[in-house]
Amino acid sequence: MSTNVYEKPAWFAKQEQADPTSFLMQTDDKFRVHTRAYTDPSVFAVEMERVFAKTWVYVGHESEIVQPGDFKTSHIGLQPVVVSRATDGVVHVFVNRCVHRGSVVCREARGNAQEFSCPYHGWVYGNDGKLLAVSERREPGGYSERFEQPEGLFQLPRVQSYRGFIFASFNPDAPELLDFLGRAKTVIDRKLNLSPEGEIVLHSRPFVVRYQGNWKFQAENIVDAYHFLHTHKGFVQLQAKFGDSTGDFGVHKGGSIKAMRKLRFKGAAWDCKHGHGLLDSPAGEVESCLTGEFGAFHEEIRHQHGDEEFAWIIGKGAASIFPGLGLIHQHIRTWRPIAADITEVTIYPYELKGAPAAFNEGMLRSQERFYGPAGHGAADDVDIFARNQQGLAGKAVDWLILERGLDTDEKLGSDYRGLPASEAPQRALWREWTRLMSAGEEV
Amino acid sequence: MSETLAQPAASCTMCRADAEDFLIHEALLLDDLRLDEWLQLFTDDGLYWAPIDDKEDVSRHVALVYDTTPRREERVYHLLHNEFPAQSPRSRTVHCLSNVRVTPGVDHLVIDSSQVIYETRGGDASQVGLGEVRPLVARVEHTLRPVAGVMKIACKKILLINRDAWHGNLTFII
Repeated sequence: MSTNVYEKPAWFAKQEQADPTSFLMQTDDKFRVHTRAYTDPSVFAVEMERVFAKTWVYVGHESEIVQPGDFKTSHIGLQPVVVSRATDGVVHVFVNRCVHRGSVVCREARGNAQEFSCPYHGWVYGNDGKLLAVSERREPGGYSERFEQPEGLFQLPRVQSYRGFIFASFNPDAPELLDFLGRAKTVIDRKLNLSPEGEIVLHSRPFVVRYQGNWKFQAENIVDAYHFLHTHKGFVQLQAKFGDSTGDFGVHKGGSIKAMRKLRFKGAAWDCKHGHGLLDSPAGEVESCLTGEFGAFHEEIRHQHGDEEFAWIIGKGAASIFPGLGLIHQHIRTWRPIAADITEVTIYPYELKGAPAAFNEGMLRSQERFYGPAGHGAADDVDIFARNQQGLAGKAVDWLILERGLDTDEKLGSDYRGLPASEAPQRALWREWTRLMSAGEEV
Repeated sequence: MSETLAQPAASCTMCRADAEDFLIHEALLLDDLRLDEWLQLFTDDGLYWAPIDDKEDVSRHVALVYDTTPRREERVYHLLHNEFPAQSPRSRTVHCLSNVRVTPGVDHLVIDSSQVIYETRGGDASQVGLGEVRPLVARVEHTLRPVAGVMKIACKKILLINRDAWHGNLTFII
């Protein structure tokens, strides 16, 4: 394969339809992704079938649907779904589409309902998705005796949860959720273990932002240690001037640019099986956490988990869980594809159950400061994503270069561990994406 | 002595024309990017607040903006002195305001207004995200309190009509 970023892949001259196996150029020292993987609407359509309809997708957290009848709406790719805790307590995920003539049956983001009725012709479904009533079914000119009445809303065949994170899949043959999560489980565990009760609660309203760019930019970016000092240079300067006085709680601790650069080189970047990219680094210095306002809270966590694990728990961990879930700071993030060049990002700050109220509140304030649409961090990322998408219109350059750190990545079982500045987490996404896109299912 | 406690007189007030002058002055400071002067409009404990849901407890919910004095100072410093992608090029705004009403109080007064804030980013208008004019529509509530004889903003609360929907870039001052 050519070494040149301007080189056309083989299919380019021959066929209109791109061959998904050709989107990844992979050799011992190269890892490159073709422009059309981000820009081509026909590739996007294939992704909805071969990626989003085939893998596990995070659809919500159990703390959002605590009581029987509680529901929330979500999406799997473009498909609208409802995540509903039925009267018997079982969580169902069903397609938010009346099986009669297609109207969405639920238009509330969250709520509690005994049943969902379609406003168009009045078909009624239970909170378990079962069809309860077809309106005016037997009236003259209605449905005949032979009418094959649907059972109800389309139920996703697989629904599993891990520590409150609910995942669903359209694929009956998807692996067990824990096998799918693999090493990404450690990031979930460490985030949740900062709660004295080991639980989180999604209480706050979320931030919601849309950007004019492909969904994979967000999937790559949340675990991109390389961009921080560049995209967020302005924030780093702000942090050096204002410190934690305006809300940080040590998450971006570092002070000077030099100190932050030094901190960045601790820990590891992971490229994990099933597409998950992880960043983790233990806290270098734990003593300062054990004194002050939140000393007792941290001491309890240290007591529960021991010194070594405590350093990881209060360190910085981030995950991009394939294809649409992120964990960083103290929030759950989802990104949902709308078109090849439109993506919606939702950030759900969570509370650590049992942590001091002031700690949880401080985390809300620090996330307004960095992650909100008026904040000093994430708004820069989405601005860059739109620039990326526009830049990719320069399709004379075929390939994007994602091989940083490839030679220093170390294979450990089915995962690769890279140095913190490696693009290993981004490669995880593309390996799994290519595997699924190459599977060749009917579209 | 009277048996009943006298209602304190609602002595803190301002006529509508003065209230409009106050809001117009603030709008021009923002539109002209005279942000250090804008900071001076606030009381020392003043708040610049754009909630997502103002009915909810702010200690358990994020807001679009929840700027205490240090955070306002930081935001203004960032806008005036740092270069960052979301404001490179920077936003231009025009704040249009109407429906001004004053509610007097004992030691403070409230000015309600309806505002349409038009925003665009300059630079090469052929670039994605630049050259489009985006309107923000809001009910705005200014709580003013006299400090050494001068009316200052104790709280500027902005209720965008789409506050609980998705947003674009809000890194300018609303």
